[in-house]
Amino acid sequence: MGTTVYEKYGGFKTISRIVMSFYEMALDSDEIGDYFADVDMPRLMDHQTKFISSLVGGPVSFSDDRLRAVHAQLNISHSDFDEMGRLLSEALSDHGMKPADVDYVLHEIESKRAIIVTADAG
Amino acid sequence: MTIAAINEKLLRSIGVGVAILDGVSHEIIFANKPFCDWFGTPDQMTRMSELVEELSPEDLGEDEAEGRVFTGEVELKRKRRTLVIAVSISATRSGDQRLLVVECQNITRIRELESMIDSYSTMVERNTRELEREKERVEKLLLNLMPRSVYEEFKTFGVVTPQLYTQVSVVMLDFVDFTEFATKTDPTVTLAELNDIFTAFDRIVEQYGCERIKTIGDAYLAVSGMPDPAPEHASAVAHCAVRFLRYLERRNESHQHTWRARIGLGTGAAVGSVVGIQKYVYDVFGPAVNMASRLQMMADPMGIVAPEEMKFDLIDEFQISDFGEHQIKGLGEMDLITVEANLRPAHIR
Repeated sequence: MGTTVYEKYGGFKTISRIVMSFYEMALDSDEIGDYFADVDMPRLMDHQTKFISSLVGGPVSFSDDRLRAVHAQLNISHSDFDEMGRLLSEALSDHGMKPADVDYVLHEIESKRAIIVTADAG
Repeated sequence: MTIAAINEKLLRSIGVGVAILDGVSHEIIFANKPFCDWFGTPDQMTRMSELVEELSPEDLGEDEAEGRVFTGEVELKRKRRTLVIAVSISATRSGDQRLLVVECQNITRIRELESMIDSYSTMVERNTRELEREKERVEKLLLNLMPRSVYEEFKTFGVVTPQLYTQVSVVMLDFVDFTEFATKTDPTVTLAELNDIFTAFDRIVEQYGCERIKTIGDAYLAVSGMPDPAPEHASAVAHCAVRFLRYLERRNESHQHTWRARIGLGTGAAVGSVVGIQKYVYDVFGPAVNMASRLQMMADPMGIVAPEEMKFDLIDEFQISDFGEHQIKGLGEMDLITVEANLRPAHIR
C-alpha cells in the first residue's frame, strides 16, 4: 500500500493551511470572491479541509450527495469552477506540493465537477 | 525625532489597532493604521460608539472612571471578509486630561482555527471510538481462538511460549457414522447440526471450567487443567463427557437426526501453544491428548472410556466399570475403565 498524498504532505495540518490560503485567494478573486462574502468562513474552511483530505486519502469520508446538496443552490458555473481549480492549484503549489500531486488533486476535484456545477450556461 | 514622534510611529506600525479617545467627549484623537483599516479613517468628530455598535457612551464612563472600561468583540465586513476584532478599552490620565485607550486585535484567524480544532477533535474522537470498537471485535475473535491468559500473553509479547502442563485431563468426542451422515445429507444441514451441538458442548465445557480447544470435523476436543491449573481436572472432563452424552440423548428425542458419539478421556501432560504466525491456532499436544483420542475409538456408541489411572478421581462422582486391559497404539498395554453418570443425582450424595 503506497503512501497517500494526504500522508506525504503531513496530513491535516498541511491541508488546513492550504485551505486557508485558498480562501484568502478566493476572497480576493473578483470572479468567485462574492460566493464567499456572506458565508460562515470557519465552517466552510472546516468542511473544505475535510473535503480535500477525503480526496487525497485522509481519514474522512465525504459523500457526493452531501456535496450536491450544499452546492445545489449556488448556481456555480463552469468558469467559476475553473477559477476555483486555478486558485487551488496555486495554493497547493505554494505549500510545496509537487506538480504531479497538484495534478492528482485537481483531477480528483475535476471528477466532482458535474456535482458542483449547477448553472446551465458555462 | 522626538520620543513622542517615535511613539506615534511605533503605534502606527504595530499589528494591533490602537486609538486614543478623549476621555470625556469620546472623540477619536488618534488612530493607527490597522485601526483605520478595520474601522475606516475617523475624522475629528467621530465617536467610538459610532464605530462599535454594541458600545454605548455610558460604557466608556465619565471623568472619574479609570482602568479597563470595556472588552468585547466586533464583527466587521471588509473586502468580503468577516473580521472578528477583539476590542479592549481602558481609561487613563495624562495630566488633567482623561484619555481612553482602545486596543483592537484581529482574532478572525484564531476563531477559524478554534473552530477547526473543535471539528477535528470531534472527528478524531469519533475515529478513536470506532477503532476502540474494532479492537474489541478483534479481541473477541481472538478469544475464540485461544484462552484468555494465552491471549494476554500474546498481546503483551507478540508470541506465546509453549507451556508444558503436567496435570491435565482431556475429553475427546467423535460421532459414530459421521462420514456416512455427511455423505447423504445436505452439507448445510450437517453444518447446522454440528454448529448446534458444538455450541451446546461449549456451554457445558464452560460450565465445568474447561477449555474447548478445537473441533476437527466432527471431533470435539476440550481440556481441563490448562492454561489455568485445575485440581479437579479429571472429574471436570468426565462431567463434560457425561453431559455431552446426556445432551445428545435428549436432543435425539426431539430431532430428526440421531447423533451418537464415542468419548475418550485422557490424563497426563500436554503442551499448549499458539501454532502458526499468519493463522493463529491455539492447540494442545502431548500424551494426554493422544490418550483421549485413542480411547475414544475404543468406546461403544454413547460410551465413555478412560484410563484406569483416572479411576480414583472419578469413583466418587461417577459409575465406573472395569473395561479390561487393551493394547493401545502408541501407548502400549493399558488398563481401561468406562465412565457413566452416577445414578444418584449429585446433590444428594
